[in-house]
Formats: sequence, C-alpha cells, structure tokens
Amino acid sequence: MAKLVGIFAASHGPIIARDWETMPRDHRAKLTAAFDEIGRRLRACRPDLLVVVSPDHWVNFFINNLPAICIGIGDEHDGPPEPFMKKVYPHAVLKGHAAFGRHLLQTALDNDFDPTLSHRLTLDHGTCIPLWRIGVDPELPLVPILVNDLEAPMPSIRRCFAWGRLVRRAIESYPEPLRVAVLGTGGLSHSIGETTMGWIDETFDHACIDAFARGEERQLDAFLTEQLERTGNGAHEIRDWVIAHAAAGSTGFELIDYFPSPATLVGAGFASWKAPVA
Amino acid sequence: MTDYWLSKLFFDLQHDPQLVKDYRADMAAVIDRFRIKSDVRQALMDDDVAKLAPLVNAYLLRFYFQVRGMPQDEFMARLHAMNASGAPEAAKAGHG
Repeated sequence: MAKLVGIFAASHGPIIARDWETMPRDHRAKLTAAFDEIGRRLRACRPDLLVVVSPDHWVNFFINNLPAICIGIGDEHDGPPEPFMKKVYPHAVLKGHAAFGRHLLQTALDNDFDPTLSHRLTLDHGTCIPLWRIGVDPELPLVPILVNDLEAPMPSIRRCFAWGRLVRRAIESYPEPLRVAVLGTGGLSHSIGETTMGWIDETFDHACIDAFARGEERQLDAFLTEQLERTGNGAHEIRDWVIAHAAAGSTGFELIDYFPSPATLVGAGFASWKAPVA
Repeated sequence: MTDYWLSKLFFDLQHDPQLVKDYRADMAAVIDRFRIKSDVRQALMDDDVAKLAPLVNAYLLRFYFQVRGMPQDEFMARLHAMNASGAPEAAKAGHG
C-alpha cells in the first residue's frame, strides 16, 4: 500500500518570480530560507509522488466552465504559461501520475464526491513557484488538484476538510507501495485587484496559524468561514492548506515561517505537518 | 454583477498574445469583437478602474491593467480611491 510521508504548505505570488532578482536581498533571503526548509523536509521523506493542491489563476478554466475541484489524471501536464515563469521555471512539460490520479478520482466518486477531471492540466505560477523555489525534482510525478479559490461561490471550508480526508484515504488505499507527499499552495492573506489591494491582514494570518496549530476542525472551519469574507480575496487560497491539514489528520501542524511580505503582496506562510506513523 | 463579455475579453487577452498585440494596436476594433455594452466600452477606453472593477474577477482585472501598461502603484491607487470615495463594496463582492 502507498503511504503519506509528508504534508506541506507554502505561499506563492507572481512577484516572487517576476521580480526575484530585484527584490530586496533580506526579503529574498527570508523567502529562500523558508522554501529551502520545505525542500529539505520534502527530500528527507523521499516521495515517489507529490499531490499538489493549488488554485487555477484563469489558466485552465473560465466562468463558462468553472469546476470547484479538478483532479489531473494525465501522465503529463503542461508547465507554466506565464512569460515571467518561463524564465525561472523552463519546464514545458511536467510529469503526472495517471494511475494514482485515476485512483484518487475513483476514490472520490466512490465516496460521493463529484470532481471534474483533466487528462492534461496547465500548471500556473500557483503550482510552479513553490515547485521552483522548493527545488522539487522536475522528474517527480505530480497529481494536481485544482481548487476554485478565485471566484465565488467557492467550495466550503467544511468540504475542503472532507477533501483532505479523502486524499488521505486514496493514498492509503492505493495498492502500490508509493511514498506520497502533499503540498498545499497559496495564502495566507493578500488582496489582489480589489479596493484593499496590497493589504496584508496580519491579524487574520496569526489567528489562522493559531487555529491550524490547535488543529481542531470545527474551530478552524468556523474561523475561516467567518473571516474569509472579511479579509483580502487571496486568503481564499487557504482552502489548499485546509485540504493538506485534513490529509494530515488535522494534527501535527508546524509553522516553518510567517512574515508579511509587502514586496510580494502576500502574508507569506510556510508550514509542514507530521506525517502519520505507519 | 459579473459582466460575462468583459470577463471574456480579459480572459482571452490573458491567453492570446496576438490578441494583446491587436488590442494595443486598435483597442476599439478588438472590443467590437465582443458583446461589450456601450458604457463598459467607454470605461475600457477611459481606463476606468472604478467602473470596471465590480464587473469582473479581481485577478482578471489586475491582469488586464498589466496588459494596459498601468503601473502597479497607479492601479492600486485607483482601487484605493474607490474606498475613499465611498464607492460600492461591489469590487470585493463575488469576484474572489
């Protein structure tokens, strides 16, 4: 059977790629240290496969066809389309893992979840900035889960918890002895293209981190369901952290670093969870 | 309220470099390929951030004004001015 060997979360933001070389040195150093620590922990758990939970920034989907959740079940996916990403992450094609992708999809359907599927996704900066900065081996197969974090109505936080548990169930029921890691990307607070653009809601971010650390699902659900309506729109990406959190069993959260990053417009958060004991 | 065709214009600009070139060469001609209402068309021609913001997803709005070449500081200032003028909260509502 496969097993879950590592669970991680990291912020992303296009400015990290677009303006990396011109970013203040100390800022770059903090981001580098946090991403590097996730990279170190990820490599230490020797994954055969990485499930990446990310938003889609209007790359695969539009409002004429906008799934709440899409699972990438192809053997390959396309690398980032953004010109600023191609300079730093020049991987036109990324490996998928069709067998596990299909197993995850089937497990979802068997458990009354109704995701959409894609045999070939395009993975934008939301997925690829963490892969780039963490130093994920480009040969490591990915199974992307794209979550609608951008356009209301979005999946409920309660449903994201259920999705995390389902991801865990799919991993633990996969018949091959794969070592699987999960990476949630996005968040913490940020505000993009709205009247509060640039606002980093540190109060929300610290409360959010505290709620993850306490772990208790009902409290975290209640907090996020209420507060996501009051903070910047980018914080909706915390759904991807919730899925990672629930995959970990909603326990074992460890903050690697958090700092408000005005240079990248995000509350930059980095975390890992203890992998379940085999 | 989401404006589908305005959103479609912004989405297509994100996906089609040739359309961006065409748009920069002749905005009006490209706008005419979409079913854009006259007041929205005028807002596009005027780079009217406050008028357009409530009509599209905030991420598409940001991308669009990058295509238009509006510096980020100016884009943010125009958004912030919507708060100052007591403009509707609509820019936050429903658009991620």
